[in-house]
Amino acid sequence: MSARRSASARHLFASLRYNGLGIIAAFLFLAPLAWSVLVSFKPSVEARQPPLPPWPVGGFSVQSYENLAKYGAGIWTYTGNSLTVALATVVASVVVSLLAGYGFSRFHFPFKNVLFVLIISTVMIPFQSILTPLFLILTKLGLQNTLTGIVLVYVTLQLPFSIFMMRNAFDAVPKEIEDAARVDGASIFAVLYRIMLPLVLPGVVTVAIFAFLASWNEFLAALILLTDQNKYTLPVLMAAVRSGQFGTIDWGAVQSGVTLMMAPCLVLFLGLQRYYIRGLTAGAVK
Amino acid sequence: MINSQNIHDGAPIRRRSGRQRRKQLAGLLFIAPALILVATFFVIPLGMAFWMSLHNWPLLGRPRFIGFGNYIRLTQDAQFWSSMRFTVYYTVIVTIAIFAVAFPLALFAEKAHRFTKFYRTAFFLPVVVGFGSASLLWAWLLDVDSGLFSPAAEYLGLMTTRINLLADFDTTFWSIIIMVVWKTAGFNMIILLTGLQGISTEVQEAARIDGASSLQRFRRITLPLMRRTIALALILSVSGSMLAFDQFYIIADGGPQNRTVTAVYWIFSQSFGSFRLGYGAALSMVLLVILVFISVVQLRLLRNPEGM
Amino acid sequence: MKLLKIVALAATALGALSTSAFSQEKLTMWSRSSSEAFMPALIDAFNASHKTQIELQIVPSAEMVQKYATAAAGGSAPDFVSLDLVYGPAFAKSGTLEDLTDVAKSLPYFEHLSKAHIGTGTFEGRIYAMPMSADASVLLWNKKLFKQAGLDPEKAPTNWAEIEEAAGKVNALGGDIRGFYFSGACGGCNAFTFMPLIWASGGDILVDGGKRATLDSPQMYDAINFYRDMVAKGYVPESAKTDSGKNFFGGFATDKIGLSPIGAFAIGNLVKNYPTVDFGVTFIPGKTGGKASFGGGDNFVVTAGRDNAPAAKEFLEFVYSLEGQTLLAKLGSLPTRDDVAAEAVKSLDQRYQVATEALKLGRTPSSPVYNDIINSSTGPWKQMLNEVFFDDDVKGSVTKAQTAMQSILDDTD
Repeated sequence: MSARRSASARHLFASLRYNGLGIIAAFLFLAPLAWSVLVSFKPSVEARQPPLPPWPVGGFSVQSYENLAKYGAGIWTYTGNSLTVALATVVASVVVSLLAGYGFSRFHFPFKNVLFVLIISTVMIPFQSILTPLFLILTKLGLQNTLTGIVLVYVTLQLPFSIFMMRNAFDAVPKEIEDAARVDGASIFAVLYRIMLPLVLPGVVTVAIFAFLASWNEFLAALILLTDQNKYTLPVLMAAVRSGQFGTIDWGAVQSGVTLMMAPCLVLFLGLQRYYIRGLTAGAVK
Repeated sequence: MINSQNIHDGAPIRRRSGRQRRKQLAGLLFIAPALILVATFFVIPLGMAFWMSLHNWPLLGRPRFIGFGNYIRLTQDAQFWSSMRFTVYYTVIVTIAIFAVAFPLALFAEKAHRFTKFYRTAFFLPVVVGFGSASLLWAWLLDVDSGLFSPAAEYLGLMTTRINLLADFDTTFWSIIIMVVWKTAGFNMIILLTGLQGISTEVQEAARIDGASSLQRFRRITLPLMRRTIALALILSVSGSMLAFDQFYIIADGGPQNRTVTAVYWIFSQSFGSFRLGYGAALSMVLLVILVFISVVQLRLLRNPEGM
Repeated sequence: MKLLKIVALAATALGALSTSAFSQEKLTMWSRSSSEAFMPALIDAFNASHKTQIELQIVPSAEMVQKYATAAAGGSAPDFVSLDLVYGPAFAKSGTLEDLTDVAKSLPYFEHLSKAHIGTGTFEGRIYAMPMSADASVLLWNKKLFKQAGLDPEKAPTNWAEIEEAAGKVNALGGDIRGFYFSGACGGCNAFTFMPLIWASGGDILVDGGKRATLDSPQMYDAINFYRDMVAKGYVPESAKTDSGKNFFGGFATDKIGLSPIGAFAIGNLVKNYPTVDFGVTFIPGKTGGKASFGGGDNFVVTAGRDNAPAAKEFLEFVYSLEGQTLLAKLGSLPTRDDVAAEAVKSLDQRYQVATEALKLGRTPSSPVYNDIINSSTGPWKQMLNEVFFDDDVKGSVTKAQTAMQSILDDTD
C-alpha cells in the first residue's frame, strides 16, 4: 500500500469517526425536540400511549391542537398576550438601551462610570429575590395584572445585557463619522437615527433577539404577576394545561403547546443565528 | 468583562463651558429612561425587600414590624436549610456535568469539517427553547405511563416493570440533571469555543513539534489560556443553577417528598403559597447575600488568574 | 379660568359616564377547574334569564388560592369567587370578603342551607361565605372490571378487607389494569379521600376546635397499613406515587382502575366526559365497616368593597332555586339546600342519591391555616402521606409530621 493511499484512508477513517460522533451527538440533542413535535400530531388517544414509534401511527391529526385551542379563553388570546409582551419588550428594550448605550458611549456627565457599573451589576442580583416588592410596586402603580407591568419588568431585567451590548456597539463606531455629520448641522437625534443606527444595527438585532427569547419564555414572574386568566402568557397557560383538565392530563395538548412555544424561538434562532452567537460571545471576549 | 475606562470624547472634563454643560445634560437625558427603570424596578424593590423582611407581612392584612424576628425564625426552618443544601448540591453536580459535556462539544465544534456548522447548530438548539417549555417537554418524556424513557426501557427489556422515575430522589435528580445538561450544554459550548478560538495556533503547533501529547497540550496550554473564559462560563452556570425553579416546579413538584424543593421554590411557596411575604423577603435576603458572595469570589478569580 | 372649569366639568362627566358604563359591565367570577363540569352551565343559565351578567373564568385548582389572594392584594380580584370552602376562615380573617350576613338572613330558606358550608363560612359571628356547590367523598368502583374479575358488579365493598380483596381480583386481570388508585402526592386529594377512612374507624385528625393535631393515632396507622398493603401487592399503579392531583381520576376514567375513592364532582365529570365508564358509587368505609365522608365543595364569596351585594343576592337566589339546584345536581354538584335536595336529585340515577347521603355524614376540618397544614404541596400532611405510603419509616414520618403540623397550629396568631 502506498503511503499516499494509507494517508487518504486514515483521513477517510478520521472523517467517518468525526461525522459518526457528530451524528450521534446531534441526534441526542435534537431527538427530544422532534419527539415533542411528532407526538403533538398524534390523535389524543394515541398521544396518551408511550411514543413508540415516535411518529403518528393512526394517521396525522391536529386533534391535540384543537383541544389546546379550546382551553380557557382560547389559545389565540394567550398567543396574542405572549406576542404582545414579547414584541413590546423587544421595542422598549431596543429604544431604552439604544439611548443609554449612546449616552454612555458618547457623553460625559457626573457619576457616569458609577451609574454604568450600577446598571450592569444588577445582573448579579436575582430578580426572584425581589419579586414580592415588585408585585407591590406594580400594584401601587396600578400595573399589577397588566401586560404593561410585566413588560416593564422584563425590559428592566434585560437592561444590563442590552446596555452593555449597545455601549460596545457605539464604542466600535469611529468618532469621526459622527463629527462629520455634526459639522453639517444635524441635531443629535438626527445623527443618532440616520447615521448611527445603521452602523449599530447588528447590536440592535442582538438586543432584540435576546429580549424576545427572554420575555417569550419567562415563567415565574408571569405566574405571580398575572392573575387574570385572560392575561396569561403561554408558559403560564401551559403549566395550567399540564395541571390537568377534568383531573386528567392531556399530554397531546401539552406537547402541542410546547411545540407552539418552541417554534418562534427556533425560527428566530435559525434565521438570525449570526447575531445571536455574536451577542453571546460579546461578554466572553471582552 | 466590564470596561469602564472609556473616554472617547477628546474634550477635557474640567472645562465647563455652557456647551459642555448642555452636553452633560444631554448625556444624562439619554440614560434617564434606563435609570428610571432600574431605580423603579430594581433599586427600590431591593430596599423594600429588606424593609419587608423586618415585618410580619401577610399578603392580605396589615404588616407588623418585628425586627429581626424573621431572620431568627429562618435559622430554625429545617426545610429552608435542606432546600439550601439541595440547591448547592444541585449546583455543584449540574455545573460539573455541564462542563463534562460542553468541553468535548467545544473541542469537537472547533474542528473545521464540512458539517461542523450543522453540528454546532444542532447542539445549540435546545438553548433557545425556554426552561418552561423544556420542563414541560421532559415532564412528558419522564412520565411513567405516557412518556418515553420508562416504557422504552421496558420495551427494550432493560426493566421488567415500568419504573416511575419521578418517585425516587436519585432518578428524579439525575433525570433533571440530564435535562438541564441537554438544555444548556450548547450555551457553554459556545462560550468555551470563543476561548478556544482565542488561542493562537502557533502556540499549539510549537508545543506539538516539541513533542507534547494532545492531553499534555490540553492541560498545559489550552486550560491555562482559557482560564478567563472558563471562569465566565462557571459564573453563569453557578448563578443560574442557584436560582433554579422552573424545572423542579414543573417536572417534579418539588418531589419526591419535598426533597427537590430548591431555595427559590421554598421562597415562592412561603411568599405566595403561605402568604408570608415578610418571611419570604427574609429568605430572599439570605439567598441574595449568599449569591453575591459567590459572584464576588468568582469575579476575584476571574480578575486574578493566580488565585485559581 | 373658564376654560379650566369646562375641562373640569367635562372630566367629571366623563368620569361619571365611565363609572356608569363600568357598572353595566359583566361581573367577573372565578371558579376552580374541578368544578368545570357544572359551573359554566350554571352561569350560562343564569345569564340567559337575568339582566345581571356574569363572566366566568376557570382557574386551575392548584393555583386558585394563590391567584385569588394575589389578585385581592393587587386590587384586581374578581367580583365573585367560588372558593373551596376550607379557605373561608383564612380569607374572612384577612378582610378580603364582603359580609353577607344580611343577604343570608334575608333568604327564607336560610335554615335549610348546608351546615358544613355555613360553618366554614362564618367568622367571628358574621357570615362571609355561602354554599355554592357541594361535594362529598365516596368510593367508586368499575362495574365492567368487577364483572371481568368474577366479582358481583352490583355489590359494593363495605370494609377495608373487602376493598383489598376486590382490588386484588381486578388487579389479577393483568395488563395495565390495576386494582386501586389514589393521588399519592396530593395533600388536598387525600384529605378528601383518606381522612374518611380514619373518621369511619373512630379517629380524627384535628381536635379541640382545630387547635391540636392527632396524626399519631392507632386509626391512622391502621389506615396507612391498609394503603401500604395494596401498594406493596402492586394493586396501585406506579404513576400514583407522583400524582399531585393532576391525574386525580385520570386512571379511573380510562377504564383501567378497579376502585378509587373520589368525590361527587368526579361523578359529573365522568358522566359528561367519559360516558362509557360503567361505575358504581358507595360510601368510604371504616376498617370493619361504618361510613364517613369529607364534606367538601365550594362556598360563594364576594370581594369586599364593591357594592355587589344586590347582584350577589340575585345570583344566590338563582343558585338555590329548584332550577339552579337541579342543574347543579345533574352536572355533578350535590344540592346545597336540603328542603329541595330530594326534588333536585329525583330524576337522577341512584349514584347521586348515595353521594347526597354521604354529604349528610360529611365532616370538614376548619382552620385558618388549613392550606399550610393540609393542602400545601410543601406541607406536613402531603409529605407524610407520600412517605408512609411508599417509603419504609412509617413511625418516623408520622412523628415528624405530627410535630410539624402542631408547630404550625401553635404559631397561628
